[in-house]
Amino acid sequence: MSVKASRHSRPALLLAAGQVRYQLLLLLRSPLAFFLTLVVPLLLLVSLNVVIPPSAALMPRGLRYAQFLTPAVCVFCLLNACYVTTITSVVLAREEQILKRLRGTPLPAWTYLAGRSGTAFLTATASATIIITIGVAFFHVHIIWRGSGYFAAAAGLGMACFFLLGVAVTAAIAKTDTALPVAYGTVLPLAFISDVFFSAARAPHWLRDLASAFPVAPVARAMEAAFIPGTRSWPMPTSGLLVVLGWTIAAAAAIALTFRWEPGPGPGHAR
Amino acid sequence: MEGELAVNSPAIVVERLRKDYGRLRAVDGISFQVMRGEIYALLGPNGAGKTTTVEILEGHRKRSSGSVRVLGFDPGTGGRRFRERIGIVLQSGGIDAELTVREIVSLYASFYARPRDVTQTIDQAGLSGKRRARVRTLSGGQRRRLDLALALVGDPDLLFLDEPTTGFDPNARRDAWEMIAGLRRAGTTVLLTSHYLDEVQRLADRVGVLSHGHLVEEATPGTLGGRDVTGTVISFRLPAALASTALPPGPWDEPEFREGVIVMRTDQPTRVLAALTQWAVGHGAELEELSVVRPSLEDAYLQITSPDGTGGHHVR
Repeated sequence: MSVKASRHSRPALLLAAGQVRYQLLLLLRSPLAFFLTLVVPLLLLVSLNVVIPPSAALMPRGLRYAQFLTPAVCVFCLLNACYVTTITSVVLAREEQILKRLRGTPLPAWTYLAGRSGTAFLTATASATIIITIGVAFFHVHIIWRGSGYFAAAAGLGMACFFLLGVAVTAAIAKTDTALPVAYGTVLPLAFISDVFFSAARAPHWLRDLASAFPVAPVARAMEAAFIPGTRSWPMPTSGLLVVLGWTIAAAAAIALTFRWEPGPGPGHAR
Repeated sequence: MEGELAVNSPAIVVERLRKDYGRLRAVDGISFQVMRGEIYALLGPNGAGKTTTVEILEGHRKRSSGSVRVLGFDPGTGGRRFRERIGIVLQSGGIDAELTVREIVSLYASFYARPRDVTQTIDQAGLSGKRRARVRTLSGGQRRRLDLALALVGDPDLLFLDEPTTGFDPNARRDAWEMIAGLRRAGTTVLLTSHYLDEVQRLADRVGVLSHGHLVEEATPGTLGGRDVTGTVISFRLPAALASTALPPGPWDEPEFREGVIVMRTDQPTRVLAALTQWAVGHGAELEELSVVRPSLEDAYLQITSPDGTGGHHVR
């Protein structure tokens, strides 16, 4: 006589949707995440527009600074929601043993990451929408409807890449305290040389080449180009697309090989 | 087939389990079984290999060699079907501080195919008054109760309890013990680790003692270290009337004299008592402060795990 395991697990997609709801709830109750994803980009948009005189902005093709800055701050929204917040929240969850507890339940690993990504995409989209709305309402920014599809596609590529990079980087961070410095320590220098705060059109060639080797610049340039009147074709060159896809695939591979569910220096220490 | 278990088969079967961390051997070829519906306690000092063993059984760690079956599954490859049937209480942490008690228990219930009722589980864990409270506002004891609720909400066949009552006040511990005893009555198998030996004495059907990665003793709490038959301590104050009289011959080790009190150790307490009382009655004297004390579980445990104890006898 035998006893059969008669339990049929819940559909994974349902669990993934539950994870999105749960992560959103946590985000809304986290002052730090709220500040990083919504308040900081808004402060940047307003302060840079107010502080930088139009003559000092060095815009190419006679572009107004606000018309450049609004999609550029949207890129910063994606970086904050998909990269910075992912790093801080995943490291916190791992070090607080929340991930370890979840691994002891029937929740499939991928649904947890799907929940995280869904939350990151939703908050990035929400904060970018707010930025564009403020830009249009207060800084006379024009939405180029013909380029909106390009804008959305470039943003989608950027979100996927930044999210996976954020998850991949968590394996190298041992403590919660170092998560935020590592996140901003890696993203801010890249943002400065990748047309996120200022146009790098007149920067030295070597700096532009360096920026082009990382995924922020191709995404930022494409999203900004989608806000330039007259853009009529996909604004990301093939070389830029390959860079973004290359980093995305590398990040996914790194996650598969190194992602940790347990706190501390990894599974190789005695307990 | 994985997940199928004969009714009388053990819930956990561990054979020659070994785990190495680099050059350090944390678990060294241990074997034991836990029967269905049994509460089995793993004891041992820090670094003995308890947590490593439990985490291998939970599926959190990979073994270096040996065989492990838990509810008919290999925990390393059992996946969701295996985790549907276990509940885990971690030593600490693991709960989002910004969710309420009801939100977190509901979330965990949603992971399982056949969860218990959320409200009932919260009530059973003694948190009825805290359903709407954020986790960060709970006391240490209340968080441990929530831990227990999260482990139980999936209605597990096997529960891993890693020091489940640490931080509980005495009343909360009694409540938790009652709850765990209730689980046993309902047929749930429990693998328990604890530093509270009174807890083990009260709850466990059997005890395994780990030391330096070896299983050095396996017994019921009442017979661990042979404490049911060895090392009974009998003491009494020597009456003045018998001060100049020699003790009768009997089956005891060399008695000790401590400030007028005679202390003797024996494996045959009934015969010793008979000899002593006959001797005292024969001289018309009373053995004042007469006491018979069997070694406690703690005494037996300390004896087994002490460097000069019987730790060399490995149970394979």
